[in-house]
Amino acid sequence: MKTLKIPKLSPWTAWAGFLGIIIAAGLVAGLIVFWKGLVVTNLTDLVPWGLWITIDLSSIAVSAGAFSLCAVVYLLGLKRFQPVARTATYIGLLGYTMAILTLMLDIGRPDRFWHSMVFWNQHSLLWEVTMCVALYLGVLLLETLPIFANFRWLRSRMPRLAGKMSQAHHFAPYLAIAGLALSMLHQSSLGALYGVLKARPLWYRPDISVLFIISAVASGMALTVFASMLSARLTRRANVDDSLLDRVSQIIGWILVLYLYFRFWDALAMTYTYQPGRTEGLYLLTGGALSFNFWVGEILLGILVPMVILINKRMRSLPLWRMLALLLVVGGVTAYRWDTNISGLMIILSYLPGEPSIAYTTYQPSLIEFLAGAGVISYGLLAFSLGVRYLKVVDHHSVETHVQELLPQRTQKVPVPAGD
Amino acid sequence: MSQVKINRRDFLKITAVGATVLAGMQVISRVEANETAPSGGRQWAMVIDQSKCTGCGYCVMACRAHNNVPPDITWNPVLEAGQTGDKKIYLPRPCMQCAKAPCVDVCPVKASTHRPDGIVMMNYDRCIGCRYCEVACPYGARSFNWKQFTGPNPAVPEWGESEIARRPRGVVEKCTFCFQRIDRGLALGLIPGVDPDATPACVNVCPTGARVFGDLNDPESNVSLLLEARTSYRLREDLGTAPRVYYLAADAKDM
Repeated sequence: MKTLKIPKLSPWTAWAGFLGIIIAAGLVAGLIVFWKGLVVTNLTDLVPWGLWITIDLSSIAVSAGAFSLCAVVYLLGLKRFQPVARTATYIGLLGYTMAILTLMLDIGRPDRFWHSMVFWNQHSLLWEVTMCVALYLGVLLLETLPIFANFRWLRSRMPRLAGKMSQAHHFAPYLAIAGLALSMLHQSSLGALYGVLKARPLWYRPDISVLFIISAVASGMALTVFASMLSARLTRRANVDDSLLDRVSQIIGWILVLYLYFRFWDALAMTYTYQPGRTEGLYLLTGGALSFNFWVGEILLGILVPMVILINKRMRSLPLWRMLALLLVVGGVTAYRWDTNISGLMIILSYLPGEPSIAYTTYQPSLIEFLAGAGVISYGLLAFSLGVRYLKVVDHHSVETHVQELLPQRTQKVPVPAGD
Repeated sequence: MSQVKINRRDFLKITAVGATVLAGMQVISRVEANETAPSGGRQWAMVIDQSKCTGCGYCVMACRAHNNVPPDITWNPVLEAGQTGDKKIYLPRPCMQCAKAPCVDVCPVKASTHRPDGIVMMNYDRCIGCRYCEVACPYGARSFNWKQFTGPNPAVPEWGESEIARRPRGVVEKCTFCFQRIDRGLALGLIPGVDPDATPACVNVCPTGARVFGDLNDPESNVSLLLEARTSYRLREDLGTAPRVYYLAADAKDM
């Protein structure tokens, strides 16, 4: 909105330049990782998963808006949310590519990333997650084809290709089914991945999978609405229908109620009787090193405050309040992912005979880990900004006409077989 | 879309039924897998007598030499595990070679597998270095190669010659009961656990004979006889991992 008149010194240039610098720094950090190996991280055999896994889990979580909103639009038939689902799908594509980039940094042999596609271990939840992520990335690519067809350069140079790409829209309901199935699997499996490990009593419970998918849907929708609102405030290239975003925000508020409900019973059940490893892990969250993260980051600011703001009609209608609440949801879910991973790893349960004893370890990410992580996040931000600028990713008006173009075809053709 | 005969509702139903059947099959296969006990052929196991272990650490060094393990990784540490009277009790901890190994279950690429003889084997050419097995192992028996092992192996030649190749940077490695010695020994007609050339290096080097190795399925093997005669325990038996390393608890009278 402010100054798009002087292109060379515009806020856009500054923003893109700023992100470009971080991406460059991340790229250098990434090259160092590939060159020197994971010895440049602060990961150890005791804490083999750290910051990058958190970025991984979080970027997949905030991508959950894609499958959930596509399901709302194409399976529940609430067509008016289609433009919001469009933004979510684009964010989903970026989130999954961010996750894959981070995973490539994190695995010891990135040159063998394809092994899980070829050498199947169906018993491994990580195998299942990898397969689902790969397949869902394909679904997302198909779902975003019509978005990329909006690229003016492509439309002027290759109009037929652009036309074909936008026709992928016809398969949207089927892609939505595939997306729903794949996401239901791997979004929860990312939690179950921790939940099946009997060696880690804090994780070993069925609830993590449920909590992961519910929190993912909340944060995915939240990021979609937040990004849409922010874009609309910053540039004329994005325009939103606030009644839609208001409605989605209200839904997020109620999803947070569900999330809080499950978290409450999950946490309460773990407080009964002493179990070595689990009790200490829970204490780490509620009273120990991670207690600020837990009480303030996850519960107060991550669930309670945004829940109240988003459910209350008056507070929700204030744009800045709503945006703050949505950002808090994303932050809270990210904190939840970090805490889940690190709390289980910080507790070392002795395997020696006799009374089980507990040892603690710590982990602080190294500069290289921070830089590479920031690079990946900046890539996501830049790709989204480019999408807003050149692909009309946040455009609630033009997309509606797009849908209307399709609707008459359907309503004309459906009566012909005289089925229903 | 209108050309498709089945409508959306049917499609959803079919998808849901299909997914349920697949999930059910997966659960059934898991339950069945848990019922089959390892049997048939040889089943290698180790018995460690804590009364005899003096904590000298020779086994740690012999392991490093024979398996070409870098100095910052230990496949087979000797831990302090309490005291009886005025004597310290030690607990050597090789890989437990669990019959129900969590690492084998979680590996996304089947780089960790069971050999027919029960050894939990690593395929270093297949491992992608995700480290899920490290997180899953209750015994801390797995180590990641954070960097490439370069330069001479300090344990060679004093503690033996290297028998297997160094692992590349970026994969997880662990004790394999010196599978290379077992396989070579069997090919030469030797008996693992009896002939030193077919027996794990840590067993051979132990000055007090605290480690015994052999075939669980052979009732006359050293390990079978020892487990028959003495009371043994395994680490974290409550987890149901069914380790193939048995311990004879330290007894003050024998020390």
